[in-house]
Amino acid sequence: MQHLNEETLVAHHYRDAEDGAAVAQHLRDCPACAAQYEELRLVLALVDDASIPEPAGNYGEEVWRRLRWKLGSEKKKRKAWQPLAAVAAALIAVFFLGQWWNARNATATAPLQASHNRPAGGSEVRTAPEGADANAGSRILLVVVSDHLESSERMLLEVANADPERGLRNPADRAGELVASNRIYRQTAAQRGDARIANVLSDLEPILVELSHAGTTIDGEELQQLQERIDAKGLLFKVRVSSARDEAPVRTHNPTTTSL
Amino acid sequence: MEMTDAVNVERARQGDADAFRLLVERHSRPIFRVAYRMTGNEHDADDVVQETFLRAYRQIHNFEDRANFSTWLHRIAINCSLDLLRSRGRHEKQYGGDAEALEHEISTEAPQPDRLLLSAELQVHVTAALERLTGNERTAFMLRHFEGMPVEEIGKTLGIQVNAAKHTIFRAVRKLREALQPFVRSTPCST
Repeated sequence: MQHLNEETLVAHHYRDAEDGAAVAQHLRDCPACAAQYEELRLVLALVDDASIPEPAGNYGEEVWRRLRWKLGSEKKKRKAWQPLAAVAAALIAVFFLGQWWNARNATATAPLQASHNRPAGGSEVRTAPEGADANAGSRILLVVVSDHLESSERMLLEVANADPERGLRNPADRAGELVASNRIYRQTAAQRGDARIANVLSDLEPILVELSHAGTTIDGEELQQLQERIDAKGLLFKVRVSSARDEAPVRTHNPTTTSL
Repeated sequence: MEMTDAVNVERARQGDADAFRLLVERHSRPIFRVAYRMTGNEHDADDVVQETFLRAYRQIHNFEDRANFSTWLHRIAINCSLDLLRSRGRHEKQYGGDAEALEHEISTEAPQPDRLLLSAELQVHVTAALERLTGNERTAFMLRHFEGMPVEEIGKTLGIQVNAAKHTIFRAVRKLREALQPFVRSTPCST
């Protein structure tokens, strides 16, 4: 009788042997192989008994305590990039909407321009698309910025209405997000030559920065000073007016088109 | 998946930190045991536990409801352990513990199996035998012996062929057998 080799015995132990039934039968018939198998089983049982250090009774709580800190910083990282990603997406939308708008106006006004530009005994009429571009870009930017202005308005209202004795809690996180968006919108508005939006955002930014640097609570003198600054600049009014004007252009006709 | 796990996983997905805390507290110990077997030391096992829950938190949205949360966590823990071992270059070479020094600490006199059985000294011999395994041998052995992972899956986990995985397990068992044979009471052959 040919004995089972070691590899087959190991495979049989883990039920990986190709012909488990034949191996089992052999082990019943062959005491030498059965002894080998028993020895193998005992060795592996020793490994089973190998001790594993038992963690402290509150191990789960301890793991959570350390983990919570790490998860907290993960959340902060997420919070930091999410609003920026949203702003970036909005600006990309501004770009493509602007392109689309230009293309649309160029197509719509081309035949009309041809007739207007034709010398008819007078000076050449100024072409419409330049003015249309500026208006369209500004309008699209306003639509995109409107959410930001509304959020900022809510934040300013909260500060303006807060009782200096009771203070304002946790303004830093929200203000931090608004600062990041504000910077990008302000730069975009300035680049597009939209001075009105750029100015409002420019006035808004120092207040938001200050709020973002605040601790868990702003109270007393600090809060009062902020309220005075908001009031002195008429900031709440400016932000509100800008928000309100954002909605209007959507309903207004394109002046270039109507004049034609 | 047990009801409590299912509920807590769902709540954790919705951002409930308390629900995730309950999952951490409930599964920390079993995950520590897997990690300890894989890494061979308490400190590394502790790091693996942290990393496992961190990855679970990031990937909890990918967890399939039909799956067993504990099995899923075990799988993450095994991957974390492998990453740790690979990062330290311990995967291919001998496991890393000083097996000889460990054995030198105990009596050089041949011990009687009866006296040694379940004794602290025997633990040292077992630990030393495990530390003589290469990283791959130890991992393959642990996955098959303690986790009951099929050989095919062990092969996938280690990035080797099924036959190679089978042979790796065999090599590990043979090394353990050679090291621990003197300490077992073998049944005398009756023929």
